[in-house]
Amino acid sequence: MSAPTSPPPESTEVDSKTVIGIAFGNTTSSIAYTTPDGKAEVIANEEGDRQIPSVLSYVGSEEYHGTQAKSHLVRNANNTVAYFRDFLGKSFADIDPTNSHNSAHPADIDGTPSFNLQQSDDETTTAVSVSEVARRHLVRLKDSASDFLGSKVTGCVITVPTDFSEAQREALIAAAKAAELEVLQIIHEPVAACLAYDARNNEVPTDKTILVVDLGGTRCDAAVVSSRGGMYTIIATAHDYELGGLQLDNVLVDHFAKEFLKKHKIDPRETPRSLARMKLEAEGTKRTLSLGTSATISIESLAGGYDFHSTVNRLRYELLSKKVFDQIVKLAENVVAKADLDLLDIDEVILSGGTSHTPKIASRLAQIFPESTPINAPATSATALNPSELSARGAAIQASLVAEFDHEDIEQSTHPAVTVAPHLAKSIGVCIDGAEQAFQTLLEAQTAVPARRTAQFIAPNGGDVVVRICEGVREIVVTKPEKKPSNVDRVIAEAGIKDVKKGAKIEVTVNVADDLSLNLAARVVGGQQTVRGSVE
Amino acid sequence: PSLPEGWSAESNFVVHAPLSSSVNRKLEPVGPHFLAHARRKRHSRTFSEDDRI
Repeated sequence: MSAPTSPPPESTEVDSKTVIGIAFGNTTSSIAYTTPDGKAEVIANEEGDRQIPSVLSYVGSEEYHGTQAKSHLVRNANNTVAYFRDFLGKSFADIDPTNSHNSAHPADIDGTPSFNLQQSDDETTTAVSVSEVARRHLVRLKDSASDFLGSKVTGCVITVPTDFSEAQREALIAAAKAAELEVLQIIHEPVAACLAYDARNNEVPTDKTILVVDLGGTRCDAAVVSSRGGMYTIIATAHDYELGGLQLDNVLVDHFAKEFLKKHKIDPRETPRSLARMKLEAEGTKRTLSLGTSATISIESLAGGYDFHSTVNRLRYELLSKKVFDQIVKLAENVVAKADLDLLDIDEVILSGGTSHTPKIASRLAQIFPESTPINAPATSATALNPSELSARGAAIQASLVAEFDHEDIEQSTHPAVTVAPHLAKSIGVCIDGAEQAFQTLLEAQTAVPARRTAQFIAPNGGDVVVRICEGVREIVVTKPEKKPSNVDRVIAEAGIKDVKKGAKIEVTVNVADDLSLNLAARVVGGQQTVRGSVE
Repeated sequence: PSLPEGWSAESNFVVHAPLSSSVNRKLEPVGPHFLAHARRKRHSRTFSEDDRI
């Protein structure tokens, strides 16, 4: 149909690989790349979408993808595949097909979930396995990225939820390989979100405990991540597979359906096609409500030949969705409890996923945390990144970091021998007699060792100074809800520095090796005297 | 003030106790700082050796 194109120039040796980050979701997927100056950017596909619906649809021999395919859910539901990511690498017996009721149903073909689709101009249907659907989806994503970047994408980093099994990971790698896409690494969604934020300001990362709440379309995941010196450890995770944006859509569908029912005595939820239309339009209304305080919905000839027009304001919507919001707050509280932490221990909250645009969710979460805890969501922070883009951005940053590595290098670096590290059970800090603060933390609990930290302290009185290395434990004083800097649990070692001038700065470096031996160096800034010691 | 009475430590350093035992956890193999950690571990380098390279 098109003019014969010259074969792609294969002789040009791939001097630098083209790599992207892919966030592959049940509901939407996105692709991102890193600019030469190291900034991650999300790529829009040919339709201009940055959040590309993970939907494929077939009409005759035509394949539709993304938003176009999604609109086929109304007229062509049986030939449209949606919400298939979580079916990958699972046997038919283990999948939950609830979300597929309004699209092509998964069928059991030799134990693998498959879809019977009409893909040609005649009426015959062929079974397409879920891994083949994933392959076609990845091909479309890869092509969009290749078109945008002007060079063929060869490698990628893909994000997955933390509870993805080994079999699911392998199925994903296989599907990508079939799509001629090398998976450099598979990373976890909450960690990708942390990386997207940390990469934004190129300073030395601080030690903090982060709660990542990933609110998707069909599921919500929460994780407590401890970030120490730029290294991340997941402390606890929680998942809810029945909570997400779809539930909020249903709230609106029910609200509007009741209104329609009152007016015309017909329930539009009873015919599949009008229900599908309502769902599609309600989602748009929900998005508008995240930005403005009121939104309209209008569907021509919804049911019984009647048109439907209506408005809803944000307050009303928030009232109707209270139950869903409560569940989200509960999920966040649960995961913090699972990590054996208190809400006061959380230093930062990152909201990720499309549903995080809802202002009420961010403000509800802000209510359970102290005012000083930053809630990174568009509604509560002016500097927040777009929550829908976090996973893809994180993946793109990681992809650019490992692009030059050999496959073997990545394999070795991600091997448990490297990733499993001892983490400090208690925080390590310094007490200086007479200083204002009794205990100043150098290394937080949950820091992976080997680790090294340096800090400066002011000699309060002058004369001789004893630098006391202590272990601390966090204590919460109930009278006033405030996180106390750790209290001294026991003294590990003491270093004495003689004849220090009042107000002089003392620099302390602590180095903990992976056999838990501790090395200390304390010196007066600008002076000659240094005390060194080690604890075995 | 001067060092407390009976401060007789050699090289001005006294050890009281070892650190509490650690907990083994899995690091996420993501980000520039992890890659630096992996590099040190694979070549069994210390921080200062790594700084020099």
